[in-house]
Amino acid sequence: MSREPFFERKTSIAFKTEEKTVLRGYNLSDLAEEGYSFCDAIFVLFQGRIPAEAEEQMLSYEMGSFLEHSMSPSAGSAIAVTAGRPNLPTAVAAGVMTFGGVHGPGAAHGYMMNKYIGRAQREGKSLDEMAKILVDDYMDAEMPVMGMGQPQHRDGDPRAEPIHLKQEELETHGVYHEFQRAVEKHFHARRKREGKAYVGVNVVGAGNAALSDLGFAPNAAWCVGSVSRGYSCAVHAIFAMKKGRAWAASSAEPMVQMLDLSMIKYIGPEDRKVPSQEERAEYAAAQKESGDYKKWVI
Amino acid sequence: MGDLMDEKVKDKKVIGNLGDPGLPYDYSNRPYGTEPLDSKRAPFQWVSEVAYKNRYRIVTRGYDTTELMEQGYGLTDVLFINFQSRIPSIEENQMLNYVMILALEDGLSMPAMLSRIVASSKTFLTQACGTSILAFGHAYGAYSAFGNRQLEALEKAEADGQSLQEAAEALVAAKLDDEALGVSSLMLKDPAAKRMFARAEKLGVAGKHIAFTQAIVKAAQAASDTPVDVDMLGATGATMMDLGFTPEAIWSVIAVTRSYGAGAHFIEEVEREGYSRTGQHLTPESLYDGPAERPVPSLKDRDKLAKPAKITSPDEWKVAMEARKKLYGSGYSIVEEIHDPSKKTGTHSHGKKL
Repeated sequence: MSREPFFERKTSIAFKTEEKTVLRGYNLSDLAEEGYSFCDAIFVLFQGRIPAEAEEQMLSYEMGSFLEHSMSPSAGSAIAVTAGRPNLPTAVAAGVMTFGGVHGPGAAHGYMMNKYIGRAQREGKSLDEMAKILVDDYMDAEMPVMGMGQPQHRDGDPRAEPIHLKQEELETHGVYHEFQRAVEKHFHARRKREGKAYVGVNVVGAGNAALSDLGFAPNAAWCVGSVSRGYSCAVHAIFAMKKGRAWAASSAEPMVQMLDLSMIKYIGPEDRKVPSQEERAEYAAAQKESGDYKKWVI
Repeated sequence: MGDLMDEKVKDKKVIGNLGDPGLPYDYSNRPYGTEPLDSKRAPFQWVSEVAYKNRYRIVTRGYDTTELMEQGYGLTDVLFINFQSRIPSIEENQMLNYVMILALEDGLSMPAMLSRIVASSKTFLTQACGTSILAFGHAYGAYSAFGNRQLEALEKAEADGQSLQEAAEALVAAKLDDEALGVSSLMLKDPAAKRMFARAEKLGVAGKHIAFTQAIVKAAQAASDTPVDVDMLGATGATMMDLGFTPEAIWSVIAVTRSYGAGAHFIEEVEREGYSRTGQHLTPESLYDGPAERPVPSLKDRDKLAKPAKITSPDEWKVAMEARKKLYGSGYSIVEEIHDPSKKTGTHSHGKKL
């Protein structure tokens, strides 16, 4: 069998020969034999370095916190995909791919922090001053401040503040932690001034600050977070696959199923007659002319 | 939703074949509108035995996840809890870390390549990571097939009173060259797979699956004309089964673990190679071995040239099937075994080439 790569790329991540697999210069088998943890290896993968013990502990805390979040868009996707009974990886992949602009927007939050910390450096402002500018920029523009708020944990994400505290306990807190804390302070103060309800920090705000202080670039941090969720998406998918009904629509189940016909609430155009081909030209022209269809275009 | 029924009754004209008496019901009088809410059964809820959350807690298998972290448990501990509903021993946790380090990266193999290809079209990183998971099919990442086959063979051996070695020999006799055996020529020079078994034994977590895989290795080495040994599939699959993970759990844990590596490949691809545009990449004619270039016939000659696919007898079918195999990309050279995948996935081979 051919052992040539599918296509060639210059890479500084890893190489593999018949004798060994080497990640950033370290033989993977030797790394495992030496007793390093999987989280240590994540540092080697993304940063090419062995982390300090406290850094490894912080990453394990962060990844362990993020792994399971019960019914969130990612788990929902994985469960829905299993209804058609594809191969299991399809459901797991769908779960990971659910992480977009509003579900664990790790990279965007990281880039936001880098942008404003960079401005503080260039403009000679303190992190606290720049955090206020960030909050005002976003709130003046009526945009949500990334890292704040979670629709299910309305009184504050239960994982978020403990992550901040663990960072402080392990002394891995740096410029990102300080900046994120300042963002939260100014965010809370402005909402209070404006008579708005309390909105707590979420796991992206706290977790991404922690990951950034551990040296992970925005996309690397996003990968660490969203891929960790992939494990629990797999558990939810396997549960649905092994103990649930395929199609998720059976009327024989004692509980109405996710895709039961009665779950459909239709709010589209009223029922209408299908025009014959003889009627088509006149019908289509009139329909386009009236423009009523435009309110349904998405 | 509007009531077209009265109009329909007046308009007796039947559309197409929709008046055919063979239809299961009267298509002209089908009701419009959605089904009413079902009040006789319990309303839909997300039923789970894995996890729940409320405003203040996230709980997996009964354990609050924040409390787990504060007690000093970590990522790999949560994997045991999530998949197996139990706290692992320290040695089991060490072994899982060992296995996952070896699964993290594999150079420019399929998951990395898929991630890089997706990256080059300018997507979110998560799309590339998800795509890399799709690389784990029944050949590249045959953990489900490997594990389920082991479980079936061990069950049969127990029922038939076979020894482990006899069961291994029977499995090898049937599946020596199968990609899911866990024994191949891939790790003859790389000691990583054998070291994994040695570490499992040292940590006291090796069990019947490692023993069975070692018996399979012995049987395969006796049966094969060429050198073979345990490969990463066999080492990883057997070790994780001895850690209590099901074949499906192993399949997904390893695929997700590699997805971190795929994320690094996504980043490097964007950093070093940039993006690809629609229509940018050419396929040289030298790579093409399909029909020679030929003029497109005019539409008026279509009936003279077209050969309909319709077959009217089994003999014609046999001839057509053989002829159609000659066109790569038609799909006729692939036969898949049909089975009910509703409870297990991956216990049979898919996409078997004739």
